[in-house]
Amino acid sequence: MKSKAKQNLSLLLFVAPALIVYLLFKLIPAISGMFYAMTDWNGFYQDFQFVGFANFGEIFTDKPFWHSVWFTLKFVVVNLLLSNGAALALAYYIESIRKGKSFFRTAYYLPNMISGVISGYMWMFIFTKVLYYFADNWGWAFLDHSWIGDPNYSFIAIVIVSAWNSCGYLMIIYIAALQGVSPQYIEAAQLDGGNGWQIFWKVVFPMIRHALTICIFWSLNNGFQMFDTVYTLTGGGPGRATQTVALNIFEEAFQGNIRYGYATAKSTVLFLIVFSITLLQLRFMKMQEEEL
Amino acid sequence: MKKKRSIYSWIVTCILALGVFICWFPLLMALMNSFKTNRELFTNIIALPSSLKMDNYIRTWEKMHYLRSFCNTAFLAVLAVILIVVFAAMAGWKLCRVKTRLSSFLFGLFVFSMLIPFSSIMIPLYRMILTLGIKNSLAGLAFVYAGMSVSMTIFLYHGFVKSVPYELEEAALIDGCGDIKRFVLIVFPLLRPITFTIIITNVLWIWNDFLLPLIVIGRQQQYTLLLSTNTLFGQYSSDWTAILAALILSALPMILFYSIFQKNIIKGIADGALKG
Amino acid sequence: MKKWMALLLTVIMVMCSFGAAMAEEKTAELNIMMSSANLMEQWQDFCDQFAAKVLAEQNIKVKINLEMPASGQYDSVLQARLNGGDAPDVYMIHCNNLNVYTKANYTTDLTQEAFTAQLFESVRKTVTLEDGKVYAAPLENQAWGVLYNKEIFEECGLKTPDTLTELKAACETLKAKGYTPFMLAFQEQWVPQLMTALTLGGKVSGELPDWVDRMYKDEGSYEEVREIFDVIQLIMANGTKRAMEEGSEAGAADFAMGAAAMFVQGTWAEGSVMTANPDMKVGVMPLPINDNPGCTMLNMATSSVLCVYPKSTEKELALQFINYIYDEEVSSQLFQACTYNPVAACHTYEPSQCVASAAEFLAAGRAYEELVLPSAVTDEQGKLLQELYVGTVTVDEIITRLDAAFQNANKLN
Repeated sequence: MKSKAKQNLSLLLFVAPALIVYLLFKLIPAISGMFYAMTDWNGFYQDFQFVGFANFGEIFTDKPFWHSVWFTLKFVVVNLLLSNGAALALAYYIESIRKGKSFFRTAYYLPNMISGVISGYMWMFIFTKVLYYFADNWGWAFLDHSWIGDPNYSFIAIVIVSAWNSCGYLMIIYIAALQGVSPQYIEAAQLDGGNGWQIFWKVVFPMIRHALTICIFWSLNNGFQMFDTVYTLTGGGPGRATQTVALNIFEEAFQGNIRYGYATAKSTVLFLIVFSITLLQLRFMKMQEEEL
Repeated sequence: MKKKRSIYSWIVTCILALGVFICWFPLLMALMNSFKTNRELFTNIIALPSSLKMDNYIRTWEKMHYLRSFCNTAFLAVLAVILIVVFAAMAGWKLCRVKTRLSSFLFGLFVFSMLIPFSSIMIPLYRMILTLGIKNSLAGLAFVYAGMSVSMTIFLYHGFVKSVPYELEEAALIDGCGDIKRFVLIVFPLLRPITFTIIITNVLWIWNDFLLPLIVIGRQQQYTLLLSTNTLFGQYSSDWTAILAALILSALPMILFYSIFQKNIIKGIADGALKG
Repeated sequence: MKKWMALLLTVIMVMCSFGAAMAEEKTAELNIMMSSANLMEQWQDFCDQFAAKVLAEQNIKVKINLEMPASGQYDSVLQARLNGGDAPDVYMIHCNNLNVYTKANYTTDLTQEAFTAQLFESVRKTVTLEDGKVYAAPLENQAWGVLYNKEIFEECGLKTPDTLTELKAACETLKAKGYTPFMLAFQEQWVPQLMTALTLGGKVSGELPDWVDRMYKDEGSYEEVREIFDVIQLIMANGTKRAMEEGSEAGAADFAMGAAAMFVQGTWAEGSVMTANPDMKVGVMPLPINDNPGCTMLNMATSSVLCVYPKSTEKELALQFINYIYDEEVSSQLFQACTYNPVAACHTYEPSQCVASAAEFLAAGRAYEELVLPSAVTDEQGKLLQELYVGTVTVDEIITRLDAAFQNANKLN
């Protein structure tokens, strides 16, 4: 057995390249970001002052920020339910048919390959041109809404686009998990006289819990950082009605009063929120998984 | 019983097919209308184009400097992915195999930052890029991507190495193989399944990323596909036919990449998520 | 060993001679950043002309990097470049922000440059700060108000309204004839913001000249100018549908095709209007805000200006570039291609319809200089007007929130 020191030396040699780029492009920026959070730097003037935790204190009374937090929470919950529900349903039904499984899998995954900016613009075309065509020419009045202007409908629009983008990815994970469920269990349950619904909840569902944990983790993390789609689709408007936290931070850092220090304080808060929610979720789901 | 099964299968297939249509609807609309003239688009937005006119594609192709932007993006993605895979595989392997306090400290250091939102490091990161003098450099940007991606990738490799039997490495150790030789000849080939997943997810991410290149790349000669497309929107803001053609053009490489490697991609993604 | 030495020496000598050759034909790089992506080709051509001239006259090979981020991201990209010490040599800003950029030492004093002598006095004033020095080169300057479709107005027998009552009557006449009075294109928030710029400008310049100063001292309130929202609501109630889905360019195109009779938009939109409908007869009129015709005036503003970064490594070239913009031989061509209005004596081309139409009001002295508000307040106005349009805020809330935004901006600067 080699000595500890020798082991550590070879470890350092192998970790060094990764560690260097990681320190330079992630850790040091992250730490200096937190330093800026305690200054009044506006990202513009060369000089700034250290203000301690004043920025964090100010966040408590910042109405637009909490509005954006609330909006993001709403979005995360609805999006999580919708995209996971749809993905799970798709996965289940695709797996249940005999022919064409791989065609449908491929077809439904495709939107995930398209970048948020591109799909934002594509859907913009649908929401501002195509739907109105149906409304005006085919008399489909239920489509005649301000899809990116009216806050209630633009929320729906944003959820649709992001579910469209992420559903395929989640579906793939669920399919892989479903393939791991041995058909014997299902056949046994069928012999016991269970109907499709019961079999799904009682037999299949518990066996894909692991995939559920992963998908929810992914949806949460993605949802809280939502930027691209909203930015191209509504720009956070009308006013700040559809502003997510990431957009609110972007606005604070680059527009209006350009308060960079304050914006980093906000993103530190965002980090803490995401961190604690994901931690809670993982704890909770781990517990449930173990119970079974 | 069998008949009932096949009727059920039929109904589900039909519903799924309808779903595919809805899911592809935005893409189909964009594709269809990208062949029209503006007048055609406004008279009937859902009609098929009267002919396959390539005018929109020709003018956006030139404006976007398509080939150049494509090569830039490809260069960036390939280099970044090579760096990510090599750096992270080396580190992930050693971090898993060496069990010292330093090792767990380093692993913790990498994993700790996985959830930091990009917006909070954006400006300090930009300053760092300037200090190092790698602004406007695609190769430099590839290193930046490597830095941002290694923590997640090391986490994946670390998990995977655990499931690889140590005996093989041990045998090589007895044969007197050095660390590097052992890594290149024995370990790295064993990591192939997870490496594939990592390549796919990172190519997807880097290819579709927008905000970072927007800030780092300031010269048109180095523009990525998304940056070129974005500039085009400024120029053609109300000319939907040209915009749609540009959208299709910039989504095309990924769609082709997907149609060639679809099996591997789907498998890679599923493996990555469930085993990580 | 000797062989190696010889080889090395040869290599060094070859490189030295290359260096000497390079010294004769100098190379330089000039970074220029602008937000007008729609004018990319015009500026690219101009940059090529400049490069050719410098090469011919000074034997310097200039490589010009023209960066034009889309307008939504422009400010963030520019700020990132500036505070990172990696500023472009020449860059574009909105004239209202000139003060802020100068205070942060990001602009160069251009007073001694040749082009300043060329500028019209009225324009020169707008790029001159309190210390009497010129800090920017103006590109876009206009007297703007509401664009109107002359043919529709003629057909309905309307003349440009001078009071709010007349404007209301005009709306009724237009509607009776089957026309929609106003084009609304509120997707980008700077467009609805134009309504506050105009109404506030008219009200304040006509009746409350000290309002802006008092606002900067936390002594004023939007309550005093409450009536501006009457006009804004009148416009919103008499406008085209689906305003939030309509971008500024689409709005200009639809307006050109006769979708509405009036459009609250600056003369900078004339280019887009004329591209969509080259036969369009378009005029400019001031927006009445109450029944005092003294408040019904055009807004005179300089919008895009170019600044030179003071620590630029190619400052000499950057200044040459700025001066070249007003060069007698090429300037008119550039300004006309970009559909800018004349700003200097060297601009001899025939002014556009809008400029001609605005000239009558200018001759009668019916114009004021644009109010300069903190950009955070301007942004807030645009956002709140979007919200007013979709009905998520009331006028009372707008007044409270704008007062708060102004005070907050005062506190920070």
